[in-house]
Amino acid sequence: MSPNAAPRRPFPLSPRWRVVLTIAAAGVVAWLALDAPLAMLVPQEGGWRIVRAFFARALTPALDYESDVPADTPPILWQALAAARRTLVFAVAAMSVALAGGIVLGFLSTTTWWATELAGGAGPVRRALARTIGPAAWSVARVVIVVMRSVHELLWAVLFLAAFGLNTAGAVAAIAMPYAGTLAKIFSEMVEEAPRDAAYALRDAGAGPLQVFCFGLVPRALPDLCAYAFYRFECAVRSAAVLGFFGFPTLGYAIAQSFENLHYGEVWTYLYALVLLVVAIELWSGALRRRFVA
Amino acid sequence: MNPSARPPSRSVSCADPEAWKRANPGSAAFELHEAGVVFSRTSALADANLVVNPGESLALVGPSGAGKTTLLRLLNASQKPTTGSVCVDYRRLDELTPAELRGVRARIGFVHQDLALVPSLRVLSNVIAGGMGRMGFWASARAMTFPRRAQVERAAAILERVGIGEKLYQRTDSLSGGQRQRVALARALYQEPSALLLDEPVSSVDPARARDVVELVTEISRERGITLLVSLHDIELARAFFPRLVGLRGGRIVFDRETQATSPADLNALYSLEGLERVEPGLRA
Repeated sequence: MSPNAAPRRPFPLSPRWRVVLTIAAAGVVAWLALDAPLAMLVPQEGGWRIVRAFFARALTPALDYESDVPADTPPILWQALAAARRTLVFAVAAMSVALAGGIVLGFLSTTTWWATELAGGAGPVRRALARTIGPAAWSVARVVIVVMRSVHELLWAVLFLAAFGLNTAGAVAAIAMPYAGTLAKIFSEMVEEAPRDAAYALRDAGAGPLQVFCFGLVPRALPDLCAYAFYRFECAVRSAAVLGFFGFPTLGYAIAQSFENLHYGEVWTYLYALVLLVVAIELWSGALRRRFVA
Repeated sequence: MNPSARPPSRSVSCADPEAWKRANPGSAAFELHEAGVVFSRTSALADANLVVNPGESLALVGPSGAGKTTLLRLLNASQKPTTGSVCVDYRRLDELTPAELRGVRARIGFVHQDLALVPSLRVLSNVIAGGMGRMGFWASARAMTFPRRAQVERAAAILERVGIGEKLYQRTDSLSGGQRQRVALARALYQEPSALLLDEPVSSVDPARARDVVELVTEISRERGITLLVSLHDIELARAFFPRLVGLRGGRIVFDRETQATSPADLNALYSLEGLERVEPGLRA
């Protein structure tokens, strides 16, 4: 081949076009397979009435209960605040477990702690680590992570409800399980993809493999790790709220009850409480990120 | 081998450490013997012979891709030679255990071309990280989070010496390129090295600062009596500050002499285009 001739494409379509067309085709095939015309998203006559009644209260959430309640019931705003607090407590408890599990499993499921590349010389122990112990631990961690992630927190909740009954620890575990798996997966990927220049520099200054990992590699990924952990915390708040539909005393429980009684104003009150909670966390995490990692 | 290369009479044998240790306790000696490095069939360095005596100061000059970085990485034990041998302080590196190799690296300060700092950490932490080769894991974990007063004071003194003492508690990514380079230099000095290796230290700063940086490292290495090797593509800068020049081209050492003894022909041989074609293309990294 002469050096001036551009290499010919082996296939009429460029790889980029093939990817785009494949994605589009997958979407079309899925819609056809489901036989779900978009017209089904327009409600029927009875449906319209509920939709109108529900959205009519969007700008006028209930400031008082919409039916008679026992005399000693606290005011609805107080109730919403208490449910929001319980939601937050559930989320914090679940995240504290998920973070610990995610860090341990995330460490085990990176190749960087046993690969000889960052070790700078391999004695018999390092070689054994790189050949057998490391890959074995890595495979086990990967499998555990896949199992934890592939079951959604609501399915874990159903499972734990059946096993333990309506149990707070079970609810926290239901959120913590898939979250630990997801955190582990993303943490390990972020560490693998972090720039390695500082790690090599520490290795070249005589640092050991664990020092290189913890102080050369992880700090390079730390801003991303923190941002992702905050994002998962937000998700945990929403998951904790949804667990209320199973009877746990979070915002979801209050929402479900009011909805069943057709008290749409109350539903909006609780929904706004959830939105405010998520917005507050977003503002707080944003401020922390700007200060420490941005 | 090129006839103009340094004659072997100056070389010190790998097997003769005693006399050297008595005379030069704090500065490192290096020797390359027929050393070559091949990266997946591309030769980055071939048949390199080089002797660097303790306390010596020299510049590696040559165009980019000449093998300067590879040569420095060999001396720092961060690159294994494919052929030949490398000695640091008269010990062959291929005979050392991993722990001994770590000890060798811990005593050699290497300033990478891309500086290789952690941008989101404070300057202090980046500097103290240089001491990790001599610390255990928990000691370094403590030093990176809650450094002892003595460590902070030593880091501050080194930063003061390299001219950015006031930046101690700033985040590294808030510094200019020239200041970051001084942080990288401070990290290497925190190792209390017996040799400083700098890979293209002027590539990340403007020409006016380049002179300052080279002047600073030559001063510091003279003060501390440590061996200094700097790779530079700027030949004028090399001639101004270093008593000995080693010219590389296409992965080979083409001359090695005292700066006064270098001739315009030597320098032409490094950079002229016609010569480039004579070098086997496969040997360019």
